[in-house]
Amino acid sequence: MKAGALLYLDLIMVILMLVLAIGALHARSLRHAVILFIVFGLVVALAWARLRAPDIALAEAAIGSGLAGALLLAALRDRRPGDDATRRAPVWQSVAVGGLVTALVVLLAWAFLEVQGGRANEPLANIVQATLHESGVSNPVTAVLLNFRAYDTLLELTVLLAALLGVMSLGPQRSPMRAAEPMAAGLIGWLIPLLILAGGYLLWVGAHAPGGAFQAGALLAAAAVLAHLGGRREFQLPGHTRLRLLAVAGCAVFTLVGVSTLLGSGVLLQLPSDWAGGLILLIELFATASIATALFLVYLGGHPPSWNSREVHPDA
Amino acid sequence: MNESMSLTIILPLLGALLAAAWPRRGVFIGITAVLLSGLAVGWLWFSLLADGPSHQALGGWDPGLGIRLQVDALSILMLSMTALVALAVSVYASHYFTRRSQAERFWPLWLLMIAALNGLFLAGDLFNLYVTLELLSLSAVALTALGGKRAGIAAALRYLMIGLLGSMGYLAGVALLYSAFGTLDMQQVAAQTGDDPVSQAALIVMTAGLLLKSALFPLHFWLPPAHSNAPAPVSAGLSALVVKAGFYLVLRLWTEVFPDTLSTQGVTLVAVLGGGAILWGSWQALQAERLKLLAAYSTVAQLGYLFVALALFMSAPPGVARELLFGALVLMALTHAFAKSSLFLAIGVIQHRAGHDRIAELDGTAQRLPATTFAIALAGVALIGLPPSGAFLGKWRLLYSAISLDQWLLVVVIGIGSLLAAAYVFRVLGHAFGRSALSVQAIHSVHEEWPALLLALTATLLLGFGSAWIWPFLEHMA
Repeated sequence: MKAGALLYLDLIMVILMLVLAIGALHARSLRHAVILFIVFGLVVALAWARLRAPDIALAEAAIGSGLAGALLLAALRDRRPGDDATRRAPVWQSVAVGGLVTALVVLLAWAFLEVQGGRANEPLANIVQATLHESGVSNPVTAVLLNFRAYDTLLELTVLLAALLGVMSLGPQRSPMRAAEPMAAGLIGWLIPLLILAGGYLLWVGAHAPGGAFQAGALLAAAAVLAHLGGRREFQLPGHTRLRLLAVAGCAVFTLVGVSTLLGSGVLLQLPSDWAGGLILLIELFATASIATALFLVYLGGHPPSWNSREVHPDA
Repeated sequence: MNESMSLTIILPLLGALLAAAWPRRGVFIGITAVLLSGLAVGWLWFSLLADGPSHQALGGWDPGLGIRLQVDALSILMLSMTALVALAVSVYASHYFTRRSQAERFWPLWLLMIAALNGLFLAGDLFNLYVTLELLSLSAVALTALGGKRAGIAAALRYLMIGLLGSMGYLAGVALLYSAFGTLDMQQVAAQTGDDPVSQAALIVMTAGLLLKSALFPLHFWLPPAHSNAPAPVSAGLSALVVKAGFYLVLRLWTEVFPDTLSTQGVTLVAVLGGGAILWGSWQALQAERLKLLAAYSTVAQLGYLFVALALFMSAPPGVARELLFGALVLMALTHAFAKSSLFLAIGVIQHRAGHDRIAELDGTAQRLPATTFAIALAGVALIGLPPSGAFLGKWRLLYSAISLDQWLLVVVIGIGSLLAAAYVFRVLGHAFGRSALSVQAIHSVHEEWPALLLALTATLLLGFGSAWIWPFLEHMA
């Protein structure tokens, strides 16, 4: 495409993002706001793709727009009739928040322009490219996430686990929705295998192209959400022990790899470069399972019956 | 021997995973993991004393490409504080929860919180710090909601929003620094910061985010409901340890990453806010009708002292007086951690035995729970800053610095704050020593009362009489 055409495309995307964001903030009802927010997420995903960050575009589409949208819609369903009266903040609050946000934007824009004008440099990207062959994978994003900065990713998986444990401790899962109509149920039957296939592909391809555990896990979780919405009988959560193991497996395998490197070489997560590719795939495999489990359980809005030990009486 | 650095993070993390996978063994796994990570901190002490401050590049990659862990005097003191407070609180928590489902939920989150704190105190990388902050916030929020009551969950939700806002401010600063300097490693960034716009903007948004997280007045509004509605062991952890993380990071950033960026106006602003925190927090604590709310507002005030001390430290001319003030600052942070966790545990005992924590109805507590009342009195001594507590030494140095820098207004504020603290502590003790109309029997319960008592003794006696080494230690191991 010519540069001119791309410029128009960019302009349309920028305007669309602004319009959708303002629309979501000023929507008539929460429902409208959520739908506009989901569309906003999709446009943001396109913008990331346009900025040549396909990994982030995938994550934004799958998690930021897809699953977050499902979470928001499910939360909307939890409201009781009286809750919808949209409370308007007092004027002084709106003005104060608006003023603070404006000041922040001006501050950040000023600093950002300074960076652009002055010392814009990316020495780290060159170091990553130069070191890539030692990482065991050929996708630089995966190399950073699973090797160079693997410790960050381990802690990020742990953040997801903390969020999961937090949601599980709030109460039992929300009541199931009514089963989907036959047309939708049939469509869901087609979509689920495709989603699983795409998830597996993203996991595998992450080693040398955009993709990886987070995106793959999000797709698997989306498949589980669809199965849940469609009321598929074949789809059952595993029992107590297996469900819990599934939830911690990603962190656990990652940590065990870390411990074995610590015992072997004295340095946490120093992956031997012959084994690095295999170890990264192993970590990502279990991480995908745990991410999918966590995202789906969070979607349930509370713990399923099998989450607690059997002797514990379910507390309302 | 740098394995100990990784182990202090990995051991509580492993414990959390085990406790999440086998919730029925939660207590055993929890206590063991806390003990083992405490031992790892002990090992780290040995290697620090033998080799001096050191750092380690994780994954074997050079800092910049990889992530650096680092340890020095300040971080080992914070780690030791975390290990000791966490151990005492864990012993208390092992018998605290009456419902098994609650206990099962407590342990994995509690261990994740400890892992996050240890990771934060050891991190030498700005983005890694963000990840540890997120882990800390999320586990703390989930712990706050454990009580299951509506007020607790509402407070937790607000805590979550505030935590996210603070993290985003911090992250925006990290993004700016990365785009300008091309690295996330703290030392590499520190070598490039100056009084340029990027450093200034980054300093402002990062500090603002962290001040929100460490509840500096008037950004403290989320703290009292969150800390006063959580279960007692959680309140102790939040008030003693979690808010310290934000303060620690501000301290690190100001002294190590942005020493040339910080402006006098910024320091003055933080000193003014700290003074406001002392007065407002102490006054609200005096007005509180419930013990837990009193303790929470007291935390707001005590954070004010820490930030005032930090501001004075930043504006003091280099020299012996400045070094002495730094030691005082650290000592005050340590003393508050032990005193406040002791206070919250003692309140937990009272709440458990009396069924409430209303201050006006505490009559007879001293007869019924002598050890717990003693713990509250000792913790109170440290909160007021009376001798022989560690806070006395800290405040003495703080006043001395304020006088020598001609900051008379601060001297007055610190004086009024201490009087107010005395008033709220003695108000509680006055009610606790009131004679109960009913004849009551003294109750002694070792695992319930001892953790609070030992924590209070540490704050008042150990950190008062036995803290002289902190000053030379901080100087040599910086």
